Amino acid sequence: MSSTVVPTERHDQPDANLRHRKKGSRSYPGINIVSAIAAIIPVLALLAIIAVLLSESLPAIKLNGISFFTKFAWRPGGTYSLPIKTDGILHPVGSSFGIWPLLAGTLESSGIALLIAIPVSIGAALAVVKKLPKGLSNGVGFFLEILTGIPSVVYGLWGVMTLGPTLSRDVFPFIANHAPSVFGFNFLKGNVGHGEGLITSGIILAIMVIPIISATTRDLLRQVPTVTEEGGTAIGMTDWETTKKITLPWVSKGVVGACILGLARALGETMAVAMVSGSVLGTIPSNLYSTFTTIAATIVSQLDSALTDGTGFYVKTLAETALVLMLITLLANIAARLLVKRVASAGLPVGRGV
Amino acid sequence: MFESASRGEVKDTVSSGNGGSELHKLDPSDIVLKTESLTLGFGGSTVLEGVSLEFPRGSITSLIGPSGSGKTTFLRSLNRMNDKIRGYHRRGEVLLDSASIWDSSVNLLQLRRRVGMLFQRPNPFPMSIRENVLVGVKAHGLAKRNDFDEITETLLKEVGLWKAVSDRLNGSPFSLSGGQQQLLCLARALAVRPEVLLLDEPTSALDPFSIELVENLIAKLAPQVTFVVVTHNLAQAKRLSHSTAFFFQGKLAEHGQTNQIFTAPSQLDTQRYVSGSIG
Repeated sequence: MSSTVVPTERHDQPDANLRHRKKGSRSYPGINIVSAIAAIIPVLALLAIIAVLLSESLPAIKLNGISFFTKFAWRPGGTYSLPIKTDGILHPVGSSFGIWPLLAGTLESSGIALLIAIPVSIGAALAVVKKLPKGLSNGVGFFLEILTGIPSVVYGLWGVMTLGPTLSRDVFPFIANHAPSVFGFNFLKGNVGHGEGLITSGIILAIMVIPIISATTRDLLRQVPTVTEEGGTAIGMTDWETTKKITLPWVSKGVVGACILGLARALGETMAVAMVSGSVLGTIPSNLYSTFTTIAATIVSQLDSALTDGTGFYVKTLAETALVLMLITLLANIAARLLVKRVASAGLPVGRGV
Repeated sequence: MFESASRGEVKDTVSSGNGGSELHKLDPSDIVLKTESLTLGFGGSTVLEGVSLEFPRGSITSLIGPSGSGKTTFLRSLNRMNDKIRGYHRRGEVLLDSASIWDSSVNLLQLRRRVGMLFQRPNPFPMSIRENVLVGVKAHGLAKRNDFDEITETLLKEVGLWKAVSDRLNGSPFSLSGGQQQLLCLARALAVRPEVLLLDEPTSALDPFSIELVENLIAKLAPQVTFVVVTHNLAQAKRLSHSTAFFFQGKLAEHGQTNQIFTAPSQLDTQRYVSGSIG
């Protein structure tokens, strides 16, 4: 019965009929397959990366044990002498690895980067959206976007050649000499080095992270409803009160997300840090100017020598190191989500206009 | 103890515009706000020319007219909301209690406390319901911390929201309905004890039930607060206001008691607009 009715209806609606035959319409089956494949590729890629990292690093995880996270030493061992076997795993004589200094260096340099980048980024975004005249605002926005596109090796070179030496000659000594000698400020004192180290890396990372956070924040600020901000003005709030109490809370969720994006970039940044950190293995930074290294920088700087290890144990240890870096980034993302959730439950309109 | 602005004792004379039984009487000589030959524009164009209007204390005045006739520009000039808009220029005067609002001695923040505003769309701030009510009180330092709870309750009761939100004062205002949000915004505006409230199509985004709530509230508050209401809803202007000003093609075409504007307008354009032939 119905099978006779349906075709009749279709005849009555030539337009609908036409649409059905058109290429690219909803009835085109290929699009489902294509989009399904497209959707599954990133999932597979992530799973594959985790699987390979895990399986490659498994012997290292087993042999390095839990003390991998507490030890300071980073000794590849005698890669030219005969290897030995411990717990059934072949490795060079005297090899011993501890990731603690790398972990500390990674977190410290990224922390410094965020401490600098977050206020600068939010300030820049506010200036671009709220304060600067249109021409200047576009100009600053343009420069921020250019900044995103500069290869990290260029930042690194600039850090090594210009920024680091200049700061260690003209700025760091001043800070080190004038910092108060009280508990909590000791990290500002001591040998200021030659410009390669923690603070230089932090500054370079900050410059790399600023465009990420500020561009996102700028886009978010543009979406805050004018009528809401005018509400603040209309009740007699100053511009700053309006910004602090209305505009920034409105975008807080998105800004937290942007900061985590920036943090992920800083944690994983390799080349620039490898160039300006001083690449010192086996010690944690003793003050703000100390040379140090990070997980990512170590992987790239040690890969060459790791490949000379005939047992393959050094490379496996680097794989384990990479796994740790992935876990940290993952944790940062989870923490961000929890933080955002907490902010959301505090009754803010987070997510609006985000 | 918190008191809302308690001026405008109801004096005798002059019946309300629509002969309305609900509206209170006004003293036509007690003018709180007044414009003198106010000409407004942006850039090279003039939006509104030579508007002289008087707003008696405690009155409700409707501003009606087709879109683009300059009502909102006029309204926003009364508390200097247009000042920061690029190319804005004006001639003429706005006098609040006989003093120019553009005088250099005027404290802009204080002006906006005295002349508040309610917008077309509800615009709660991204903070708790309680904080929304208190934000202006805190900004202007109008009360002590100890009184905040009482102020919140008084105002939310005044706008009829207390029952609905008393159990979630620290919750988000965005979980409220559009009408409730607008009432909250009204409570926020009232919290700083304004003398004049400018309403820019305050009910155009609301459902009929919420519209009635807001209108009743305005009528109730009017003896204490002077209202200037931009509206496209002619029935609302008729119901609500003592007097009505008809803006047409960048000029104040006619101003009079609401009753007269709707039943016996002196201008042909007014007659055509209120009868629905133009607009």
